[in-house]
Amino acid sequence: MFLPRMTEIPPAVEISHLIKDFKTSFKRQPLRAVDDVSIRIMPGEVYGLIGPNGSGKSTTMKALLGLVAPTAGKCAIFGKDSMKVDSRNEVGFLPENPYFYKHLSGEETLKFYGKLCGIKGAKLRDRVKQLLELVDLSGASHRRIGGYSKGMLQRIGLAQALIQEPKLVILDEPTAGVDPVGSREIRDLIFKLREQGITVFLCSHLLEQVQEVCDHVGIIFKGKMIREGKLDDLIAIEDQTELILKDASPELVAEIAALVGKHAGAELISTGKPRTTLERLFLRETLKQESNN
Amino acid sequence: MNPVSTIKAIPGHVSRTSVIARHAFTQLVRMKVFYFLAFFAVILIASNFFNLPQHEGPESAGVNILRSIKSWSLGAMTLFSVVLSIVATALLLPKDVEDRTLYTILAKPVPRLDYLAGKLLGVLLLVFVSLALMDILMVGILQLRTNMVLTDQMAMAEARGWPAADIALLKAEILAQGPTASLQGAVFSVFLRSSIIASMALLISTFSSSTLFTTIISFLIYFIGHFQADARAAYLSGEAGTSDGILARGVTLLVSLVLPDFQLFNVIDSVIEGQVMPLFIVGKLTLIGLFYAIFYILASWFIFAEKEF
Repeated sequence: MFLPRMTEIPPAVEISHLIKDFKTSFKRQPLRAVDDVSIRIMPGEVYGLIGPNGSGKSTTMKALLGLVAPTAGKCAIFGKDSMKVDSRNEVGFLPENPYFYKHLSGEETLKFYGKLCGIKGAKLRDRVKQLLELVDLSGASHRRIGGYSKGMLQRIGLAQALIQEPKLVILDEPTAGVDPVGSREIRDLIFKLREQGITVFLCSHLLEQVQEVCDHVGIIFKGKMIREGKLDDLIAIEDQTELILKDASPELVAEIAALVGKHAGAELISTGKPRTTLERLFLRETLKQESNN
Repeated sequence: MNPVSTIKAIPGHVSRTSVIARHAFTQLVRMKVFYFLAFFAVILIASNFFNLPQHEGPESAGVNILRSIKSWSLGAMTLFSVVLSIVATALLLPKDVEDRTLYTILAKPVPRLDYLAGKLLGVLLLVFVSLALMDILMVGILQLRTNMVLTDQMAMAEARGWPAADIALLKAEILAQGPTASLQGAVFSVFLRSSIIASMALLISTFSSSTLFTTIISFLIYFIGHFQADARAAYLSGEAGTSDGILARGVTLLVSLVLPDFQLFNVIDSVIEGQVMPLFIVGKLTLIGLFYAIFYILASWFIFAEKEF
């Protein structure tokens, strides 16, 4: 017997067949920025939307936040239509290269956004303090935003996105223009959000970062979704096996190679030393310098 | 468990609008707009020394100075309030769009009407506080000067042996030129006029592409508003008795609905002359101010609700 699924949890994000055209000049064809894109993100997932500049990532996010109206298709957040204001109760958004009111301090900025979400009094004070600590800006909380560095701006932006403890956080290029240390801090914050069960929808063209933090990925190109799925499934090379050895002598490596050669159909593609990334090298060396000082 | 419900409550329109209004006010204050008060003080002090050409007897000399103080003060108040209303309103909205701070605000559960109303109220709060401060300065100076004029004129009248009835008349005439309730009505009218102009500038800034465009168009409409009543009357008198008369009336009615008639605020000049401003005039101007402010803000919302960022 079919039982209605009353307890089914709505997806955190549901974008179905989204099309967005922008008018250009009078006689010319409208520009199609997003072409039949569908994305479904379940609560607790970290979803990365990747694609080159101008591929429609930001427009998709803006449609989800009701900042642009879809030409066709629908967007919903936790089952609520994105064009309605109440859909934004559970969302935090960090736009690309955010600028905040320069005349406010970091603390005043968070208080302003908190009040907009209906947080008041001691609860607001506590939440602001907690977030300033989380993004490591307690020391700069009374400084005017006008004097903040790019990385600090990004972090205060993330804090304002989290002010009302949203269940979904949308991040548009969260590490754009930030140095590797700042970038690492933002990535660590995304990890923390994931641990807390908060759904994260981010877009970036820094593929390595997306690979590190996301469990689901979509690739968008010229407005169309060309590939989507679980990250592990998408990047696994099914017919290859990786074997990483520590302190292996050249003799052992030769022995393994000989053993592989004995099996018909199997082939040893390469041996060598795995390389660290330039970013990890940079972080390790700068941290070493800092601890020496 | 969802911790969200523990900290936030869905705020009402009033509370959200007041948060945005207070923020807009703070933003403008921190742009150091109150520095203009120093200029106002200079104008006010200088107005004490302007010698207007006079054709009346010596008993009018003091009264003319009082009129001069009121005239210069209300003129400066009009200038500052109109400039503040237009420039501040024209600046706030495009700045939020350019800096993308608007994204972060509209990504919160903030209806667009609340955002617009908040910005407008922030500007109006600034204009109100500015006018209140200027009013305090004007009333202070005017009170001092009225007392001085009164003492001088009473001494002069007594020295000349004027009858008691004439002295009482002179006293009443001098006091009518001092800080009266009608003068406060005039200052309030200046505020109402600024409210209309600010809400009109808000409407223009919802579809304009630049602060400069909004500023120029707003000033133009402000000037047109000063002669639209005359133009309307002249046009209608020409059309009277023709078949186009009804159409012409319809068009002019529509024009007067969209463009306010600022000549209605000329009552301020009568107050400078020492005349009484009846309460019903204040009531009428308040209703007109409210009508245009609500009309313009709803029209702004109509455009802004469809706007994409």
